[in-house]
Amino acid sequence: MYWKKNYRHFDRSPGESGRSGEIYSKTDFSTRLRLARNDILNFYYRVNVIMKIVHVRRISQVFFFSVFLWFCIVSTVGDKFWQLRGWPINLFLWLDPLSAVGTALTTHTLYRPLLWALAVIILTIIFGRFFCGWVCPFGALHQFAGFLGNRKKLPPQKIQLNRYRKAQSIKYFILILFIAMAAFPSIAATLQTGLLDPIPLVTRSFNLLLVPLADRAFGLTSATARFYEGAWFVLAIFLAAILLNLIIPRFYCRFICPLGALFGVIGRFAIWRIGKKQSECVDCKLCEKSCEGGCEPAGNIKISECVLCFNCLDDCRHRLIGYQTRPSLAGETTNPDISRRGFVLSLASGIIAAPAVRLSNKMGSNWYDGVIRPPGALAEEEFLKRCIKCGQCMRVCPTNVIQPGGIEGGLENLWTPVLNNRIGSSGCQLNCTACGQVCPTSAVRPITLSEKLGTDNFAQVGPIRIGTAFLDQGRCLPWAMDKPCIVCEENCPVSPKAIYTQECFNTVRNGILTVKKIAENLIETVEETLTAGRFATGDYYCAIEGNQRFKIVANTENSIEISPGGQLEKIPAAGGRIQLQVRLQRPYIDIERCIGCGVCEHECPVSGKKAIRVCAAGETRSTDHRLLLKR
Amino acid sequence: MTDRNDKKIERRQFLSRAAKVGISIAAAGVISARLYDSRGPKAAVDAGAPVTLPDFSVPHKDGQTICIVKGSDRKATVTKAIESLGGMERFVTKGDIVAIKPNVAFASSPLLGATTHPELVAEVVRLAYKAGAKQVIVTDNPINDPASCFTLTGIGRAAGDAGAKVILPRPDLFRHTTLAGGRLIVNWPIFYGPFAKADKLIGIAPLKHHHRSGASMTMKNWYGLLGGRRNVFHQDINTIIAELAIMVKPTLVILDGTEVMVTNGPTGGSVSDLKRADTLIASTDCIAADSFGCTLLGLKPSDLPYLAKAQNAGVGTTDYQLLKPIFAAVG
Amino acid sequence: MDSASSRSKRLESAISIFLLAILFLIGFAIFIKQFDFDMSRFGIGAAAPLLSLQGSETGIGAKLSFDSLVPSGFKKLSAAEIYVPENLYEKIDGKATLYIESGFVKLFTQRFVSESDDTLWFEVFLFDMALARNAFSVYSVQKRADAETYPAMQFAYSTSNALYFVQDRFYVELVGSAESADLFGAMAQVADKLTGRLAVGKVTEIPELTLFPQENIVAGSAKLYLSDVFGFDGFRDTFVCRYKAGEEFVTAFLSKRPNSQEARNLADSYYKFLIENGGKAKPTSGETLKPVEGKVLDFYGVTEIIFAIGPYIAGVHEAKNQQSAEKLAAQLIDKLSSAAPTTKND
Repeated sequence: MYWKKNYRHFDRSPGESGRSGEIYSKTDFSTRLRLARNDILNFYYRVNVIMKIVHVRRISQVFFFSVFLWFCIVSTVGDKFWQLRGWPINLFLWLDPLSAVGTALTTHTLYRPLLWALAVIILTIIFGRFFCGWVCPFGALHQFAGFLGNRKKLPPQKIQLNRYRKAQSIKYFILILFIAMAAFPSIAATLQTGLLDPIPLVTRSFNLLLVPLADRAFGLTSATARFYEGAWFVLAIFLAAILLNLIIPRFYCRFICPLGALFGVIGRFAIWRIGKKQSECVDCKLCEKSCEGGCEPAGNIKISECVLCFNCLDDCRHRLIGYQTRPSLAGETTNPDISRRGFVLSLASGIIAAPAVRLSNKMGSNWYDGVIRPPGALAEEEFLKRCIKCGQCMRVCPTNVIQPGGIEGGLENLWTPVLNNRIGSSGCQLNCTACGQVCPTSAVRPITLSEKLGTDNFAQVGPIRIGTAFLDQGRCLPWAMDKPCIVCEENCPVSPKAIYTQECFNTVRNGILTVKKIAENLIETVEETLTAGRFATGDYYCAIEGNQRFKIVANTENSIEISPGGQLEKIPAAGGRIQLQVRLQRPYIDIERCIGCGVCEHECPVSGKKAIRVCAAGETRSTDHRLLLKR
Repeated sequence: MTDRNDKKIERRQFLSRAAKVGISIAAAGVISARLYDSRGPKAAVDAGAPVTLPDFSVPHKDGQTICIVKGSDRKATVTKAIESLGGMERFVTKGDIVAIKPNVAFASSPLLGATTHPELVAEVVRLAYKAGAKQVIVTDNPINDPASCFTLTGIGRAAGDAGAKVILPRPDLFRHTTLAGGRLIVNWPIFYGPFAKADKLIGIAPLKHHHRSGASMTMKNWYGLLGGRRNVFHQDINTIIAELAIMVKPTLVILDGTEVMVTNGPTGGSVSDLKRADTLIASTDCIAADSFGCTLLGLKPSDLPYLAKAQNAGVGTTDYQLLKPIFAAVG
Repeated sequence: MDSASSRSKRLESAISIFLLAILFLIGFAIFIKQFDFDMSRFGIGAAAPLLSLQGSETGIGAKLSFDSLVPSGFKKLSAAEIYVPENLYEKIDGKATLYIESGFVKLFTQRFVSESDDTLWFEVFLFDMALARNAFSVYSVQKRADAETYPAMQFAYSTSNALYFVQDRFYVELVGSAESADLFGAMAQVADKLTGRLAVGKVTEIPELTLFPQENIVAGSAKLYLSDVFGFDGFRDTFVCRYKAGEEFVTAFLSKRPNSQEARNLADSYYKFLIENGGKAKPTSGETLKPVEGKVLDFYGVTEIIFAIGPYIAGVHEAKNQQSAEKLAAQLIDKLSSAAPTTKND
């Protein structure tokens, strides 16, 4: 930005009447009008080259990246300014046409918020791949990384780095693959665009990796640490994508990004495009020094690769490059460079891939019941048609129980939301419906609390079950270890509780003792093997012949004191036997009430593999997985 | 020359591109509009296929549509009323399953007149069995807790003693229905189970003042068939009552005006809210029954908008005089 | 620099600035959007700081204890129930509107049954109406015709099977299943215990009731209508009292408005309302109405009088006899003038 010395000077004199200093007060209206107009024009022409388009582009990238970062930070449920409030945290995901096109192909509907994508599509049709160069936060990141990595290089090297490469057509094959998987096999239609679509990818990377790291470091959004399984894999991909920019700038954008490929296809008729204003030039190729898209503006420009960075326009010393309606005078190619063979191959692969993956029968009887989906999730086939693996539900879940899935539920399960009750603060909170509220494609529906709990209008239908708790009687303390425990029953949040207990008394190890002497409430034993105080917790009883059982209030190594008021009807003679028993409340699960929230699993004191575990059997979203006849 | 040619070619190219742009945008717009889904996916809940309530009505007989009996003993008046309309045999064929829908909405004592009197229910059950019914079902979907309602109103015991089967509402007895041409009853759960197997339907309602709708009589009695959060319909109470009258085609309705609740309806609360009118109305036309009944509250049919709405839909008439009502008295 | 290039540079700047403006607008729009939110979508936990928690207490299973209220010879018949405005209809159906429009907050109910005779049971309805005035309003407008004043409390009446009273901001109904002296005795016990617990020593303060002249008043006829009084939309918060005038009854009404200007405006609009609906102005025969610019109307055969004194609007309604109406009006003016001495200019 600089001021030009020469500028046009519009007449500011009032004419016959008055001096220039008193222009406005002493002259008549029409003169005042003329003078005001001249003032504005003077200002306009004085403000000569204050703004270059590349500056605006950089500002735009910084702006959208900051907005994106801010959305990642505020995605915590709450009403403070730095929390969720009404921030439109899904804006980028909705603007992303690949999600819109993908879900339109798999579900044959365009979910309302995805209308934003239509706006982006229309603007791309008119202007070209502006999204890549101006809006995409992942692209901005790549561009910045590429800039950092290559700025010390000399122009000839840079020009080499930014040349067009045939491999840039790979992203089109990736796009065709995804489209085929979504469109053609109508039974096995699956939306896998989320794997490589940059907006879900960068959202995932920030929300499941960078933000939790920031939380651990300085409590950015959460005072307690948040955990995400498989974050290492997210890191690997993210880091790889960023570091590849050191080899070739905007590596991801040029070679991999299916969204860029989609824009390339849509934007090929753009009204305005980058191009040379004259066919002959010095051929210095400085325009390609900073070309972000690798589109070769110096020669036959590949319009579908151009990301509208305008660096060429800025770099050309002779101002021969413009953004104009007529094609570049050095020639242009609008269509992506994909061979028919490549097209057919990727199409066929896509058509085969989805049903091939489904051969594992994970959608049928071989389903993996460890995949517990959030409440409000659609049935699995419908779910996989909508989930773009963005990780918003995981980010917003207040108890941190929603985790990115792995491939144990099938390949399609990768990065989809799966509940892991061992992580986080408490299983799926009863009165919370946050996950469905933030899902951008309604793979997890925005349910109301009454639908979740089965009240009001949904009283006939009942609550949403995401699974059922199953007791592992071999690990459960009262079942297998003779240790009293009812933590699961205490924490069960539904009313009436889905866990109930039945009382039973078991003789403890080495618990058969011989009576030496009985005096009132004190029974002395021959054996002196008891641990003092061990049986005084209130859970232990002394069973005496004749069905008498009394609570033990104290014990020493060789005596037991039973609670006062216990009437010993039949006093055992010296030499008689008594039994030390523990009172156990053994938990049972009422599967008609259990909603699979997982609080019991979270609270179970048996560490590691919990003695009560939730699995997805009994989930109401799927008719096949029901445990009960009636819902 | 070449310059101008170039310019022409350029312009043509530009126009063709502009056309492609226009078509693409239009295509994108059209596809979006076709696929547009403002509400998002629904849970694939097994709500069962939607149902339609069967038509329980019997053929019309001129001059035997509505009967008004005066008398203080419900058993006597209802017997007389049904006799005058052709006897229970006209309505109940041998081997029929008869469903009786009384007003059991509140867990109120029968003294308060907010619910159907148990004596009346018992008598109708007996008459049905006498006419040869195979089974009589007494059922309702109350507002308060169903078990306490059937107990405290005395209807549960009275029905049971007369040999009827009482069916309390359960989630699996509700199914979705849509009234053809209805605006409110669209994909709404109704209490369907007990009526699905029935051959005949008899409604028995007390005559009450109602704070919201003006009066609660035989048409309002069908509100008990609605499930879900049916309270929302109170905002458009006249339309819902009219739609209920269109949806439900009963065999016979009985309107009990022996003790009319004249104030503080629909729950009343004090015996002083009741006024003795010693009138009982039996009719095959709900609208006619209600039109006569409202006069006992000091109202005219024109005071109750839902009557006109239902009449306009063709399910009955407010001008009960046209139906040649039978007037009788007992004791 | 030739002018073509500087022109294109200017164009570039203009477009640049335009795009910057769009970015700014986008930022602004996002900023505005974040004000529009409803935390209750995210569940009760999220909404709790903003809204008061009502959901968890509704329906059967609430922990309210009526235990200490059980009368002798009776026991609890069912669990106590609590209802809030959202689900009040589940208990009293159509009547819910009346309560909700009168400031209803919560309803507690409990049934008690006689241990010896299970057909003798009664239900206690305890309505929390937020203000004593609201409680008095729902109490008075539902008063039954055969009400007998129940002397034990300030505002209470009984019918053959029920007992109704107001205690501070609570309106209580005790409804019996039969007309039985025993049952009534038990209900009276509960009522007694309740008054002790609800507002110890407090007298329910309704100041406007003292403003009505006491001569010839029909005892216990005071009613408070909170809205749509006499069918006129602007009329709210109005007290109405019946008086005996010879063989006939006359009704007086009064309402306290925020200031005299509003009282005067309301008097004028009500007067206009009556005229528009067929009322005819009549000249006043006495001198008493002149200082307050009182208006007398004949409305289809009955006399209506309206006037405003200070912040009060008052008058006489549906009087068959103009003289008795004016007499009552005079008494009312007297009382109100002494109540609001510096009337004219506040």
